[in-house]
Amino acid sequence: MVNGYAPQTLKEALEIVRHKDVTPYGGGTDLMVAHGRSGQYLFLHRIPELQTISEDDTYLRLGAGCTFTQVAEHPATPAILKEAIGRIAAPAIRNLGTIGGNIGNGSAKADSVLVFFALDAKLRLANADGERIVSIQGFYKGRKELDLAPDELIVEVLLPRKMPEYYVYHKVGARAALAISRLSFAGLWTVEDGIITACATAFGAIEQTVVRLPEVDALLVGTPVADLERVGVEYLAAYDAALNPIDGRISAAYRKRVCMNLLAGFLAEMRGA
Amino acid sequence: MSIPFTLNGKPTVYEGSAMDRLSDILRRDFQCPGVKSGCNEGECGACSVILDGVLVNACMVAAGRAYGTEIVTIEGFRETAQFAVLDQAFGETGAVQCGFCTPGMILAAACILQKNPDPTETEIRDGLSGNMCRCTGYNAIVNAVALAAKEGRGLW
Repeated sequence: MVNGYAPQTLKEALEIVRHKDVTPYGGGTDLMVAHGRSGQYLFLHRIPELQTISEDDTYLRLGAGCTFTQVAEHPATPAILKEAIGRIAAPAIRNLGTIGGNIGNGSAKADSVLVFFALDAKLRLANADGERIVSIQGFYKGRKELDLAPDELIVEVLLPRKMPEYYVYHKVGARAALAISRLSFAGLWTVEDGIITACATAFGAIEQTVVRLPEVDALLVGTPVADLERVGVEYLAAYDAALNPIDGRISAAYRKRVCMNLLAGFLAEMRGA
Repeated sequence: MSIPFTLNGKPTVYEGSAMDRLSDILRRDFQCPGVKSGCNEGECGACSVILDGVLVNACMVAAGRAYGTEIVTIEGFRETAQFAVLDQAFGETGAVQCGFCTPGMILAAACILQKNPDPTETEIRDGLSGNMCRCTGYNAIVNAVALAAKEGRGLW
């Protein structure tokens, strides 16, 4: 093959990334937009180990080469992830794009990545010598800056099976289909006996990476739903102080305002309003 | 080393660069001009083809991604009984004007019905959401898919 490799096993692929200067090609839906004529692609679609979805006691394990459609159609996929995938581009793109590609692309606007942050997902990375597991928060060091060595590939996304019970998901885009997120929000929580026992939120497309602030969410944990109105004021103030949206195609002021509106809506959902 | 794949039921190989766009090579090297190149960004759906049974934008596929796959373009699909039903339905509902988006629309419609022979209007609109039409305003195309579902019952 000219300008590419199409290995059939992960072992072969890891040998290629160790010795050759290649760009891993997941679904190609981002790579082909910025399409150049130089370089070499490492095509991953023929590797069965990257296309599997399985469950163990701790994790739902999504192969990095699974397409958005495959993930959305799997019965074990959490509802929030299905909903987020349903808002990605259009069916023909969801049939090509892979979750590993969405992560490896390094964008804070990646819609599946927002959900992986909110669910505190882990990533299994491998090179020819072995593998390591990292948190998705630690994996993103900045825009397009990843904790991924040139000889490593993203192999699996590990979603903890224990996750909060309820969720809200919002994507703010210019149109319903084929829209890049101007801003996106995922919020999950659990209520037990009238008390918030878990809360996890994340914002996409506002800073250089997805924003996940567990220390702010911790303010709500232990709060009786009846006290949410009062504690919510403190929560919003902490978020207001912590969020620093960047100016881009969308202004920082607009992003900040929408973030705060979405958080107010999230609190209202939690109160059952 | 070459790139083997099946095109409209026939085994074939591509000898060029693995980085070439599938939409370009289908048009240039494999005489499939029904694959339209509209935007080359995955946003218009005019280059839609069926790859291993699912709809994809051929402009978003590098040649190497086609390695070992089965691809159907409108040139192959037009030989099927399903096409005949869609052809009739698109004609009856006035779902074709300039025709540029039509090959992609027909293949998108086929994939909707393959997956779900009795789709709701919302499901039809979601299935067509990646295919742009600048002539019809879409309603005629949605009607065409609904009519094809009815007329082609048992075919999908």
